[in-house]
Amino acid sequence: MNGSEIFGAWVAVFLTLGIFSYLYKDNPFYKIAEHVFVGVSAGYWMSMFFWTQIQPNLFGRLWPVPEGTISGFFMKAWYGIYNLFGFILPTVFPDGGIDKGHGTHPHFIYILPFILGVMMLLSVVSKWSWLARMGIAYTVGMAAGLRAYAFLNSNVLGQLKGSAVSFVGLPWFSLTDASIFNNILILVGTISGLLYFYFSKEHSGNFGKVTRVGIYFLMISFGASFGFAVMGRISLLIGRFTDLITYGGENYYYASIWVLLSMIVLLTIWTIKGDNKTPVEE
Amino acid sequence: MEKFLDFIVRAGSLDRRYIFIVIAFVVIMPLFFPLGLPIRPTVSSQTIYDEVEKLEAGDKALVSFEYGPSTKPEIHPMAVGIMRHLFEKDVKIYITCLWPDGQFMAMEAIEQVAEDQYNKTYGEDYVLLGFRPGNEAVIKGLVSNFRKVYTVDARGNFLDDIPMMDGINQVADFDYLFSASAGYPGTVEWVQYAADPTGIIMGTGTTSIQVNEVMPYVQAGQIKGILGGMPGAAEYEKLIGQPGIGTSGMDAQSVAHVVIVAFIIFGNISFFVERRRSKKY
Repeated sequence: MNGSEIFGAWVAVFLTLGIFSYLYKDNPFYKIAEHVFVGVSAGYWMSMFFWTQIQPNLFGRLWPVPEGTISGFFMKAWYGIYNLFGFILPTVFPDGGIDKGHGTHPHFIYILPFILGVMMLLSVVSKWSWLARMGIAYTVGMAAGLRAYAFLNSNVLGQLKGSAVSFVGLPWFSLTDASIFNNILILVGTISGLLYFYFSKEHSGNFGKVTRVGIYFLMISFGASFGFAVMGRISLLIGRFTDLITYGGENYYYASIWVLLSMIVLLTIWTIKGDNKTPVEE
Repeated sequence: MEKFLDFIVRAGSLDRRYIFIVIAFVVIMPLFFPLGLPIRPTVSSQTIYDEVEKLEAGDKALVSFEYGPSTKPEIHPMAVGIMRHLFEKDVKIYITCLWPDGQFMAMEAIEQVAEDQYNKTYGEDYVLLGFRPGNEAVIKGLVSNFRKVYTVDARGNFLDDIPMMDGINQVADFDYLFSASAGYPGTVEWVQYAADPTGIIMGTGTTSIQVNEVMPYVQAGQIKGILGGMPGAAEYEKLIGQPGIGTSGMDAQSVAHVVIVAFIIFGNISFFVERRRSKKY
C-alpha cells in the first residue's frame, strides 16, 4: 500500500462522511465536500474533453505532422500560426505538428467547428455573446436531425412491433415467457395507457372507465420505478459502506474510524458553540 | 387500543434522522455478518448469459462503459462479470467509453480482470479505446466509420498498429455489444443508433432506476437481456460461478428492503389512523 493510496483513502472517507453529515443538518463538512465535488468534476470533465477530443481530433486534424518540409506560402503561414500557438502552449502544440493518425495534410473543413466552438465560448463576453447562438443553433439542429430518425425507428416502429403480440400457439399462462394472459395484459395496458393521454374527449362514461384502467397501469409503472429507485439508492449506500469498511482497516490506518470520530467531535463543538445558523432564504 | 393508536400516530411523525440510523444499521450489519440468502437468476439475466455463451473463441465483443464512481456499486460488478465471462470464452474485448469517468472504471476493470485474473495481452485480447465526447454522435460515428472516431486508443497507440483492430471498421464488424450504462448517453442511445440500424446482438447492464425505461426495448427484442442494478450483477456472478461484490451486497439489499417495506406499511397505518381521527373530531 503506497502513500498516495492511503492518502486517497483518507480523502475518500472524509468526502463520503462529509456528504453523509448533511443527514444531520447543513454544516461546514458538507459544504467542503459539495464544493470540492463540483470543482473537481468541472475540472476533470474539461480536461478529459480537451485531451480526448479537442487536442487530438480537432487540432490534430488542423495541424497534422506534414510529410517532408513545408512548402508554399499558405502552408508556411498556416504552420506559422501553429508555431505561434506552440510557443505559448508547447504541451498542446508540440514541435512539428500533432501526430494522432489523421494523415499528413490539414483537414481545413475542421476550421468550421473550431470557429463555432470559439463562438460558443464567447457567450461569457457580453458584447460578443450573440455569436454563441450560432454554435448552439448548429448543435441543436444537428442533434434534432440525428435524433428524429433514431426515435422514429427505435421508439415508434420498434415499440409498435413489440406491442403487436400474438395470441396463437401460446400457453394460457406463464410467469417467465410469452403467454396469452401476458399478451392480453400488454394489449390492455398499452391501449388504455395511451387513451389516458387522449384529451380531445372528456374522460367520462365508458371512455372514462377505460382511461381509469390506464391510470392503474401507469400507477403500477410508477410504483415499480419507485421500487427500483429505492433499490438503486440502497445499492449505492452499500457501495459507500463497503468502501468505508475497507478504509477502516489496518492497511489504511483506520481512516474511517478516525475521520468519523473527528467529525463527530467537531460537529458537536460546532453545534454547542451555536455557530450553525443557516440563513433563511426569502 | 387507544394508547397503541396514539403510539402509532406519534411514531408516524418520528424525526427522519432516526430512520436514517435504522437504515444505516440494517445495511451495515449484513456486510459484517453475511446471511447467505439464495440468489436466483431471472430470465433477463439468463438471456445475457446465453447470448455470451453462444459466442466462440476469437469472436469480437464491444463493451461500452457509461458510468462513473457515483454508480459504481451497481454497474461495476456486472461489467466485471461480463468481462470475466467473455475472457473465459476467449472472446476479444473492445472497450469504448461515452462517459469521461467511464474510462477510469474501464481501467479498473481491466486491471482486475484482464491483467490480474486472466493475464491477457493488451492489443491482442483486449483494447481500451477510451472516451470520446459527443454522446450519440459518437455511436453514430462508430456505426459508419470506426476509425474516424478513434485513430488512437486510450494509451496513444495508433489503431493501425493494434493487431486486434484488423478488420474492425464499423460496429457491424462486432459479434456482440454490451452497454454498461448509468444514464445518458447509454443503453437507449446504443439501441437507437447501433443495435437497431445494424442488427448487432446487444445486451445491457443498467442501474436499477433505469430498468423501467429500458425494459420496453428488452420486451420488444431490441435488446437481448438486461442486468438490473446490483441484483442483476449478483445473478450474473451466480451464473458464471464467480461471486463478487454484487453477491456480497445482496444480503444488505434484501434486509434493507424488508425494513423499508415495513416503514412504508407503518407510515400508511399512521396516516390512515390520523386521518380517521381528524375526521372524527
